[in-house]
Amino acid sequence: MIYLDHHATTPVDARVLEAMLPYFGERFGNAASKQHAFGWAASDAVERARKQVAALIGASGKDVIFTSGATEANNLAIKGAATARQGERDHLVTVATEHKAVLDPMGRLARAGWTVTVLPVNGAGLIDLNELADAITERTALVSVMAANNEIGTLQPIKDAAALAHAKGAWFHTDAVQAVGKVPFDVEALDADLVSMTAHKLYGPKGAGALYVRRPSTSPGAGKRDVKLVAQLDGGGHERGLRSGTLNVPGIVGFGQAAEIARTEMREEAGRTRALRDRLLQALRSKTDGVAVNGTLDARLPGNLNVTFAGVDGEALLVSLGDIAVSSGAACTAAEPSHVLVALGLTKDRALASLRFGIGRATTQVEVDYAAAKVSEVVARLRQMSPV
Amino acid sequence: MDYSDEVLTRVRAPQRVGALPAGPGVGTGESGTLEQGTVIRIGVRVSGERIVEARFKVFGCSAAIASASLVAEWLEHTPVAAAAMLTPERVVQALQLAPEREYVARMAVAAARDAVANAAEVESEKST
Repeated sequence: MIYLDHHATTPVDARVLEAMLPYFGERFGNAASKQHAFGWAASDAVERARKQVAALIGASGKDVIFTSGATEANNLAIKGAATARQGERDHLVTVATEHKAVLDPMGRLARAGWTVTVLPVNGAGLIDLNELADAITERTALVSVMAANNEIGTLQPIKDAAALAHAKGAWFHTDAVQAVGKVPFDVEALDADLVSMTAHKLYGPKGAGALYVRRPSTSPGAGKRDVKLVAQLDGGGHERGLRSGTLNVPGIVGFGQAAEIARTEMREEAGRTRALRDRLLQALRSKTDGVAVNGTLDARLPGNLNVTFAGVDGEALLVSLGDIAVSSGAACTAAEPSHVLVALGLTKDRALASLRFGIGRATTQVEVDYAAAKVSEVVARLRQMSPV
Repeated sequence: MDYSDEVLTRVRAPQRVGALPAGPGVGTGESGTLEQGTVIRIGVRVSGERIVEARFKVFGCSAAIASASLVAEWLEHTPVAAAAMLTPERVVQALQLAPEREYVARMAVAAARDAVANAAEVESEKST
């Protein structure tokens, strides 16, 4: 099997697994156990990992709150901010192409009485900053814009979006799950208040994520923006009171190690995955007609490719590929099209005829060439099979 | 979507794909529309009381391809009268289709019945 679905998840890097293993074995302590060496060892490991994750995004370790993953981080950011600012503000802004882990909490808050503005994107998948500026008001508590889209790889103008949010006193959250470790991301340069991350998208384990939460700066002249969330999980007050619950020490250790590797290898890896992605696209275009790229190639994750093959059923294409693991433009087995592709303006049948490729750390040129040939062969076969 | 080996084999190495040129004893039946997301076309050639050739074309999901392929396989070299015993339930059982995919079996069988009826009509016109 050839795995080209690295936006769904990534394999745990051998170096990450090696770092994690002792914390399943002899170093099994609870990081909250303050009275003995088992707990101290676990706590030290967590704090090391915290610094490693923070370093990946240009933050201080103390600003990183560990969670079970990005879905929990997104929920904490969005619901935590809304609850904290309730009474003072009643409006939220987000984007139609966000992950469900942002849209669904926003939907829940809308049902609870919040006004939620969901901005459209253009055909390239980008937000319009003028529209964003118009949408944000003095009543806006939080603006949430994804840094890099998981389906079409689009890189949003986060720094500009954050500035627009702050101009009206809104806090700014970004789901940076697909961005961190793949493209440069600095919370200070971007001035983001809340940043969601997860380990399993950067060759770390599943079940370990984090939310960066900006603390008031003590630097002279710096802004006094004080992002205070209301915790969504109660029970012990762990993680600065923001996320109670026994820490997943092995998972967090793995997250830290994965973050460190990603930080040091990012530049080279981005160049390599971009070259392989471009090679895949070129090969597909040379072997098949009717290949359309979804999203812009300019502001895009280096290893992401999302293409529509005219005249084929996406599910049949996916199943026919057999030994190549990619994902399609269908949202689920009920063959509903991806909301992201629909937001780009694709019709249902074109959205369903789309494939997402995610090039990864171990992807080889041989695999890319094989995938291009196989996809082209299957597309040709399905088109020949079609009565329309 | 978990598919049986029966479905996967028919999707990845389909047999009897194609269309039969119009001619004596040839009938075609079709189910579905592009807007619905599935179009199944079955073509048969009848000679005497027997279906001697069957082909299919499909735009649709793997279950649709497998259903049409299986139906074409069952029809070929079958007495015309036996084609009436073809039911969606038999297709569903043979392919182990999940309930949410049973509709494509109904479409494939409907297209097949139309094809056989049309072929029989052409045959009977020929003999009058």
